[in-house]
Amino acid sequence: MKLLEYQGKELFQKYGITVPTSALVENPAAEIPLRFPVVLKSQVLSGNRKKKGGIKIVERKEDCFKKLEELFTREIDGELPQKILVEEKVSFIKEWYASLSYDTDQRMPALAVSEKGGAGIEAAEIFPLEFTRDSWQLPAKSFPLLMQRVLNSLLELFQKEYALLAEINPLFELADGSFIAGDAKIILDDNVVNPADRPYLDLPGDIAILASGGGASLLNLDILMHHGGNPANYVEYSGNPPAAVVEELTIKVLSRPGLKGCWVVGGTANFTDIYETLLGFVQGLRKISPKPTYPIVIRRDGPRQKEAFAMLKEVAEKEGYDFHLYGPETAMSESARILVELVSKT
Amino acid sequence: MSILVDENTKVLVQGITGKEGSRAAREMLAYGTKVLAGVTPGKGGQTTEDGIPVFNSVKEALAQFPEVNCALIVVPPQFVLAAATESIEANIPLIDILTEKVPVAQVATMIALARKQGVVLVGPSSVGIISSGKAKIGSIGSSELVHTIFTPGNIGVISKSGGMTAEISRIISEAGLGQSTVIGIGGDLLIGADFLDIVRLFEKDEDTKAIVIFGEVGGTYEEQLAAAMEAGTITKTVVALIAGQFSEKLPQDTVLGHAGAIVSKGRGSAASKVASLQKAGALIANTPEEIPVLLHTIL
Repeated sequence: MKLLEYQGKELFQKYGITVPTSALVENPAAEIPLRFPVVLKSQVLSGNRKKKGGIKIVERKEDCFKKLEELFTREIDGELPQKILVEEKVSFIKEWYASLSYDTDQRMPALAVSEKGGAGIEAAEIFPLEFTRDSWQLPAKSFPLLMQRVLNSLLELFQKEYALLAEINPLFELADGSFIAGDAKIILDDNVVNPADRPYLDLPGDIAILASGGGASLLNLDILMHHGGNPANYVEYSGNPPAAVVEELTIKVLSRPGLKGCWVVGGTANFTDIYETLLGFVQGLRKISPKPTYPIVIRRDGPRQKEAFAMLKEVAEKEGYDFHLYGPETAMSESARILVELVSKT
Repeated sequence: MSILVDENTKVLVQGITGKEGSRAAREMLAYGTKVLAGVTPGKGGQTTEDGIPVFNSVKEALAQFPEVNCALIVVPPQFVLAAATESIEANIPLIDILTEKVPVAQVATMIALARKQGVVLVGPSSVGIISSGKAKIGSIGSSELVHTIFTPGNIGVISKSGGMTAEISRIISEAGLGQSTVIGIGGDLLIGADFLDIVRLFEKDEDTKAIVIFGEVGGTYEEQLAAAMEAGTITKTVVALIAGQFSEKLPQDTVLGHAGAIVSKGRGSAASKVASLQKAGALIANTPEEIPVLLHTIL
C-alpha cells in the first residue's frame, strides 16, 4: 500500500525525522498560518505529480486561494486530490536522495544514497544492509553525522512499519548542517497491512475474466489480448477458495455494464476444488441482473472437474446460459480465441 | 536422477494438524513420500488420522526421528518466521514454505538465517516440489491427477506460479516428454531459492536435459538467470514463458502480478526479462503449448 506524502511525513515525525513546517488543507479557503513563501503540494499517489503541475510555489499570502483552487480541481493521472499539503519553503545548500527498500539481487534490504536529490534511485549507490545476530544494521559507511541520525530513524521506520520502500527524495541539507525531509514516498507491505486484499483492477475492455492463480491470471491477460480480446478487469484468486469467495468475486466482476463475454479460465489445478469454485461462479452468476446472455467460455481442469462440468451442463440447460465448456484437451490460448470469435459475432 | 526430493526424502511437516497441513501430509503419503513426523506447538503427543506422530517442537521431533532431511512449513503467516527459524537452526537441509502472504521483512530474515546455516530454503508461496514417480512435498499434484500430469522424464520445471506447475507439466507429459523435478519457487518479492539457484542444481543433474521456467513481471530473478547464462555458467537449454507482457501495454499506472522490486536498475518488466533471456540463448515460448514444440527442437 502506497501512502500519500503527508501520511508518510506523519510517519517521519513519529520516528524523529524533521519535515518542513506545514498545514494540511481540505479546501482553498483554509487559513494558512505559515511564513511565506510556501509550497503547495497536491496529495495524490501519482509519481508524475511535479511534471503534471501538482506542485506550486506561492510567494504571497494573497495569491494562495487562487493557486489552491487550481490544485483542488486539477486531476493528476485520474486522481483528484482531497487534500493539499502546504509547506514553508526550505532554504538548503544541498539535496540528497535516501531510501531503504529490498534488493532482489542480494535478496536483502538495501540502503540507497545519492548526493543528487531528485535524480531518484537510478542514480544512487546501493549499500546492502548487514545481518548481525538477528537484526539488520546500516552499512559501515560514513555520512554526515546528522544525516546518519536520519538514516537510523528511517531504518527504524522501515522495520517497525513493515515498509517495502521508505524514500526521502529530496533530503535537504541546510546551512547549519541539519537535515529536513522534502518529500516522503512510503510503500507498506500488503501482506501486513491488507492481508485479505485481492488484487483487482478495472480495465477498459468488454470481456470479464475470472482467472485462477496469480501467474496464470497474468499469462491469460497476455493471451486474451494476443487474440484481440479486450479485458474488462484483472483479478487474482489463488489457493483453494470456498464457493462464497468465488461467488462474491463473480458478482464484482460481472456487475460491470457493457460486457460482451466472460472467460473463466485456469491451468490444470494442483489442489483447487474445481467443483467448489464453479459452484461459486454459478451462485454469483444467478445474482446478476439483467441475466447475462453473452457467451461464457469456461476452461478449467483439476480435482472434481468432471462433476463440475456435469453440474454446469445442467445449469445451462435449465436456466438458459450460453456456456462453452472446455477441459485440458483445449489449450487456454485456444479457449481465448474461441471466446474472442464468439464475442465478435454478437 | 532428480534434484532436491526423491525416495530418500524424509519429511517433517510443521503445521501438520491444520487443514492445509493435514491435507498436504495425506497427499504426500498417498504419493509414497516418507512423512515421518509433524510439529504443532501444544499438540505434542497426538497422532494424526494418518498415523503421523505430532511433536511440540522441531527439536523434539528430531530427537525421535534424526533421519528427517526435509521440513515442509504450512503454518499461518504470522508463525512462519518462528517455524522456519526452528528448522533452520536444527540444520534441516531442505525447507519448503507453502504459506502465502508472509511479511517480506520476515522472509529477508529467514533468507539470511538459511544462508548462514547453509540450508536450502524454497518459498514462501511455494506450491511444493515433485520428482515425478519418486516423491513429492507440498500441495503440488493432487492424488486424483498426479500420475497423469507428472510423468518421469528429463525436463526440469521451475515456476513462480503454483498453478502453472501442473499446467506446464501436463503439457510436457502429453507431448511424450516427462519431468525430472518440478519446483514451485513462489512469486514473492523475496524468495529463498530463485531460478538461478535451482537451474544450477539441474545443471549438475545427469537426468535433466533441458529446463523450463515460468516467470512473471516483477523482481529480477529472471534477469539474474539470464546474466549467468550469458556468462557461460549454464550449458543446458532453458525454455522460458514469461507472463505480464501485454499487461504492460495497458493504459494503467498500476503494477500487476506479484510484488515488484524497487531496486531494479531498469529491469523487472516482462519485456526486460524476455529480452535478457533471449539474448542469453533461452528459447522463449509465448504460450504454454509452445513449450513442448521448443523442447522437441533441441532434444
